Amino acid sequence: MTFSFSRMRRVAAGAAAIICAGMSPALADDAAEAFVAGVLVDANSVFAAPDLAARNAGIETLVDKYVDMDRVARFALGQYVRQATDAQLAEYLPLFRQYATTVYQTMLDPYTGESLVVTDSIDRSERDLIVNSKVVGAKPGSQYADLVVHWRVYRGTDGAQSIVDAGASGVWLAIEQQSTFKSVIANNGGGAAGIDALISDLKKKVAE
Amino acid sequence: MASVGVTGSLLGGIAAALSIGAAAAQGVVGDQSVADEPVAQTEIDGAVTEASATDVADPWEGFNRKMFSAHLFFDDALLIPAAKTYRAATPKVGRRGLRRFLAHIRAPVVFVNDLLQGEIGRAGETLSRFVVNSTIGAGGFADPAAHIGIPAHGEDFGQTLAVWGVGSGPFLFMPLLGPSTARDAFGQFAERGMDPLFYVRTPPADIAGYARAGAGGVSAREQFLDPLAEIEAKSLDYYASFRSFYLQARKREIANGKVDYSDLPDIGDYEEFDELE
Repeated sequence: MTFSFSRMRRVAAGAAAIICAGMSPALADDAAEAFVAGVLVDANSVFAAPDLAARNAGIETLVDKYVDMDRVARFALGQYVRQATDAQLAEYLPLFRQYATTVYQTMLDPYTGESLVVTDSIDRSERDLIVNSKVVGAKPGSQYADLVVHWRVYRGTDGAQSIVDAGASGVWLAIEQQSTFKSVIANNGGGAAGIDALISDLKKKVAE
Repeated sequence: MASVGVTGSLLGGIAAALSIGAAAAQGVVGDQSVADEPVAQTEIDGAVTEASATDVADPWEGFNRKMFSAHLFFDDALLIPAAKTYRAATPKVGRRGLRRFLAHIRAPVVFVNDLLQGEIGRAGETLSRFVVNSTIGAGGFADPAAHIGIPAHGEDFGQTLAVWGVGSGPFLFMPLLGPSTARDAFGQFAERGMDPLFYVRTPPADIAGYARAGAGGVSAREQFLDPLAEIEAKSLDYYASFRSFYLQARKREIANGKVDYSDLPDIGDYEEFDELE
């Protein structure tokens, strides 16, 4: 009876721990926060670049340094990643890198010089983390006042960290890219034909 | 890094209020509205789970794409020229004032929906903001309420229905009215009854209603001139991008600004992609 009661208590405690763990994903992760803080330091210096060409070059360097582009590129294919041939992936992956970099550069054009500071982080798992940041000195009522900038950080088994998505106030870039790419593939017959169509569209877009 | 600008120019604006169509119909787009406050409510959590940005079905995609094409025609012919003219003819501070005013006169609708959602505290904020901004806020053109710690928030009847447990239904796009879902389109129609102007049937009231709708549409379109042009220029499928951004932003809107990280898709199946490491 005593043994059984004790075991029940252990089971209950274990269950409670699991439930609590499931209910409170908002655990801070110092390493991920420090990583993103470092990214933001680099980014701020890039945005201080004197002209657009220098800034765009700086952005490309940042993307290459911090973004795990292969992982994002594969994610953007959704379920079709399993249907892509090696030849298609060999063509698609570098194209995606080029495309995503130009997307970042275009979107940065009207950047007005605000800087960001890390506020908190959430670990979805040991290897999947979200670090939040906000605009420094945003005035109440301004467009930046309630803006939360998210960074999705992937941590490899060796502890190396990289950015795999970025977003603002609940809107994520890679999720939009996946949605769009899947739509292009599906509307062009899906499978290999759809992936070929996507690659063709990417080539055109990158060449613009 | 890259998304610093994304936040400023694109995602931030979209996250705040991508419902251009709703704004055009209702004459409203406020400044960036919702705070990232940790609101923990079962109903809202349920609504958020239901409204997953990656899960909303689009069985009417064929119809929606036709409507989207029609919308782009009107957008190019009417809305964009009107928005550009408006931008050229008015100072930035004036445009911000109009946005605030349009959001201000929507307070009755927001207040009713706050109450219908059982959000007594937020209803109090809406009421307080209305009193403060009506008086020392120059009739709503300024926002001193935000400076004393009462930030703006938006509500609509579609959000109330979501909190009540009504599913989003399929994605829906209507020319000029913009992106929505079956539930939210119904909500937009139904909430006309929450608008005091609806009950005043006089020629001046009608003119005021049309003026509000027109000003709301142009004001909203002006706010999104640059972000939408960027999306259109860079997207491989403008319709699909528009749909994704809208649904993601709407999800957070329904959650009163609370971002749900639990239902994000995994970026990369970690086991499958281990060869990348």
